[in-house]
Amino acid sequence: MDILKTYLKFISKSFQKEFAYRIEFFMGILNGLLFIFIFTSLWKAIYSSPVSASLGSAFNVHTIISYAVFAMILKISFTMDDELTIQRVRTGDIAMFLIKPFNYFLMNLSECIGQSLFHFFVRGIPLIVLSITIFNINLPADKETYLLFIPSAILGYTIFFIVNFIIGLLSFWFIEVFSFQLMKYGMFVLFSGGMLPIDFFPDAMQPLISFLPFKYTLYVPTSIFINHFSRDLIFSQILMQLVWVISLYLISIIMWKAAEKKLVIQGG
Amino acid sequence: MTNVYIKLILAAVKSKMEYKFTFGFLVFAILVFYMGQLGVILVIMSKFKAINGWTLGEMAFLYGLLVFSQGITFLVFNALNHFERLIIQGEFDRILIRPLNPLMQVLCSGLEVSSLAHFIIGVTAIIFGSKSAGLEWSFGKLIFLAIAIGGAVLILGGIRIIISAVAFWTIRNRALVHIFVYSSKEFILYPVSIYNPWVQWFLTFIFPLAFVNFYPAGYFLQKSGQFMFHPVLQFMTPVVGFIIFTLSLLLWYYGINRYQSTGS
Repeated sequence: MDILKTYLKFISKSFQKEFAYRIEFFMGILNGLLFIFIFTSLWKAIYSSPVSASLGSAFNVHTIISYAVFAMILKISFTMDDELTIQRVRTGDIAMFLIKPFNYFLMNLSECIGQSLFHFFVRGIPLIVLSITIFNINLPADKETYLLFIPSAILGYTIFFIVNFIIGLLSFWFIEVFSFQLMKYGMFVLFSGGMLPIDFFPDAMQPLISFLPFKYTLYVPTSIFINHFSRDLIFSQILMQLVWVISLYLISIIMWKAAEKKLVIQGG
Repeated sequence: MTNVYIKLILAAVKSKMEYKFTFGFLVFAILVFYMGQLGVILVIMSKFKAINGWTLGEMAFLYGLLVFSQGITFLVFNALNHFERLIIQGEFDRILIRPLNPLMQVLCSGLEVSSLAHFIIGVTAIIFGSKSAGLEWSFGKLIFLAIAIGGAVLILGGIRIIISAVAFWTIRNRALVHIFVYSSKEFILYPVSIYNPWVQWFLTFIFPLAFVNFYPAGYFLQKSGQFMFHPVLQFMTPVVGFIIFTLSLLLWYYGINRYQSTGS
């Protein structure tokens, strides 16, 4: 129980820290609205042409707009300060965490959950309210959707977190990891489903995308939320999310152990 | 005097190129990053064939204009994206006491050579776009392309100077940089004609990003019929660039006189 308290403390600390930046709060909402606005305009323009509408028949103008809004809100809520670990390695502060009596992975995860919860409350919820009034979309009515969505969103966030965590760990071996972050970001934009549903990719690319972790971060939870998946698909996709969480976690553990060793060799 | 600026620039370039592998890898990473952005457009185009009457080639041309002018802006004005750091850490005070133009010092010492990646993507997109859209080049058109890109750079650079100048009053401007420099460009990845009239008005007269690529592309691709306003706007990018840039310099010099150091 005490252990749990320690981690809860990390969550509340990073929640408080985020609250300090109040201007960024309004800018964050504005930023979110901007993206939602751009994509709803884009989909409206595309689906107003009957030819295009029939080409993208997996959605209609109504469902694609719900998809765009909710995927974007989820994307905005999913935040992680990549720099945290990188800075700690660069300054050597990371050594301090090695001697503390808790797991660095869980500690960093707790910090990031605190941040994300903050973003969900102060950006996500206002954006949901604004979007419902502006774009005339609905929240799902049945409880079951929420019961399936919440675990899927948590798993999605965990995948997102571990990918970032792994890139942060690379700073043990590389002087500059900015390039890795940039590449990850590019792949995330394209393959996570935050900008457009994975259904629209050419068939030839589907196996590749299913083989990458990105679509399990935003596309899967959002599709569940807007009722785009059949029941069977929901369960198999959540299972895939679980497989990704476990395998990425194992990779990060191996890297962490190797990093610890390297740190000892260097003498800190 | 120019000699000093050249030395500052060389120092900035050298520090970037110090680790050759890191630099090469960074250029590659920027390419991958832009492939992500471009990929979204390509997937949409391959699925839907056209956005508001704009075909793949035309969208590529629009994108190329943006990325190319963004590349020059990135090369010259990149230092301004971290301007609040100079102010917070007191670095800017050191710049002020030197007998050189402060803005030029900031820009020269932050020259960003990795913008090479932008030029590769920009040129490729413009060439591919104009080929597949059947654009016939003439000497006059090439000259106008150069002038339009120059104007676009003045618009994008002017916006960065304005946002930096705000930091003279507020110290912090990171959130503004994020929304006005990075996010706002998402608007012009797509033809401005897809937005509702208010936004088209806003992007033309208040925050004139539409002049960076949409209006000049309207000239090259003969799409001025889609403009909500007078077709003469297709030639106005250099004029708008000149206005924005002049305003930005005025604000910068006004701000620098009002500036009080953080004392750190």
